[in-house]
Amino acid sequence: MAAPRPTGVPRPTLLILIATALTLLTLQYRGVEPLGAFQRGVRDVIEPLRTVSDRVVSPARSAWNGLLNYDDLRAENERMAAELARMRGRRLSAEADEELLERLLGEVDIGFADLDTVVVRILGTPPGNFATHTIEVDKGSDDGLAEGMPVVTGAGLVGRLESVDRARSVVRLVTHPEFRVGVRLVGSQDEGLAHGGGRTGFLVIDAGVRADAIVEAGEVVVTSGGRSRFPADIPVGRVLDPGGGSDFRREIVVEPAASLENLSFLNVLLVAKERIFDPSTLLDPGERSG
Amino acid sequence: MTGRFRVLALLLTAAVLQATVFDEIRLDGVSVECLLLVSVLAGFHGGPERGATVAFLAGLLHDSVGSTPLGVHALVYAPMAAMAGHLSVRLVEGARTLAMAGLIAAVMVGVAAAAGVGALFGLHPVSGVDLITTAVIAALSTLVIAGPTSRVVRWAVTGGLPVDISLTEGPAAGGSSGR
Repeated sequence: MAAPRPTGVPRPTLLILIATALTLLTLQYRGVEPLGAFQRGVRDVIEPLRTVSDRVVSPARSAWNGLLNYDDLRAENERMAAELARMRGRRLSAEADEELLERLLGEVDIGFADLDTVVVRILGTPPGNFATHTIEVDKGSDDGLAEGMPVVTGAGLVGRLESVDRARSVVRLVTHPEFRVGVRLVGSQDEGLAHGGGRTGFLVIDAGVRADAIVEAGEVVVTSGGRSRFPADIPVGRVLDPGGGSDFRREIVVEPAASLENLSFLNVLLVAKERIFDPSTLLDPGERSG
Repeated sequence: MTGRFRVLALLLTAAVLQATVFDEIRLDGVSVECLLLVSVLAGFHGGPERGATVAFLAGLLHDSVGSTPLGVHALVYAPMAAMAGHLSVRLVEGARTLAMAGLIAAVMVGVAAAAGVGALFGLHPVSGVDLITTAVIAALSTLVIAGPTSRVVRWAVTGGLPVDISLTEGPAAGGSSGR
């Protein structure tokens, strides 16, 4: 027998619930901390269960993927082999032009390599089907991570920590439309502000660079440092399209240096919290929203 | 077990499943919308008012486990449950195919509406063709677990509710309230 279905006039209740939801949203945008703490608390409570689930399901998922995606895996293997061969070729080419290489390295001066880092493993996307351009990693505040810390690979900038729980964190990727980073073009030494290009998978420098600046395709782009939350000279990518078609607005398209596909491990740079969280002294105005 | 504890147990279980098993098992990167399913079914079985309340709490839990601002999913799930509650009253008993089609439509609308609310509040949720693909896959994969979930949600949300008295069949027709 079907259970009784109570009917009634839900309007007052529904209106109250909608008003409550809107209020919560507004409060969270204003940065009311108890709401964030509530969310972190919920995630921390279920974290052990998620870890167990990850360990239990992971082998089965690997086997499932191996069975269903055999052709994809083989194609991926072939692609990686081709990539390896191409990289070896590049290395030989670079060795042959040692003088140019040293000059470029001198200009780039990869200082971020000296910073303390925490290696994190990528777990996937956050639960649900909502988020884009974010990934979840397996370490959090217990390992010294804090919101805003830069995330890199050996190739360059990947993103920054968006939210940090005790044992997990969410990384906002450089392609996220609200990701902002101060950048410097190594060739012209022009500085500008880049933001994520969303679905394009690129970054776009749309502020700061002079309209008449000479920018070449392939030019190296690094973080500008200074008052930015990111340390200077982290490789960001290479110029794909120098733009320059308009006298008023210039958009330079940058291909990220770090491939965001097939990543397994990342490095979080342990930049001092003061550098990240003091907006009056440390952030460029355009970066505050990112 | 009182009705409130049943609902609490249901919501916590659904939230844990959403963040664990259904987060691991994804079809083309799309996961089952367990909490949205619970919300719609809560409206279907519990009626618009109770359904909306349960769905609101489910939305808050979804926002917590999914790292979205608190209120985004709650803002969508509560009206979805109320709508499901209203439509269920008009649905002919035993119209299983129609109920399944309604559930698929509800999940698709719920996913799209959550993305719409997120975009309104300046977030960058999945959009365009990806949103359509996500909504379709989420609806179809959610349908797979709809049967057993429906029984559990009915057990949880109808426990403790006042019984409708059928004047034609007598007071015993409504069954026990479960309280």
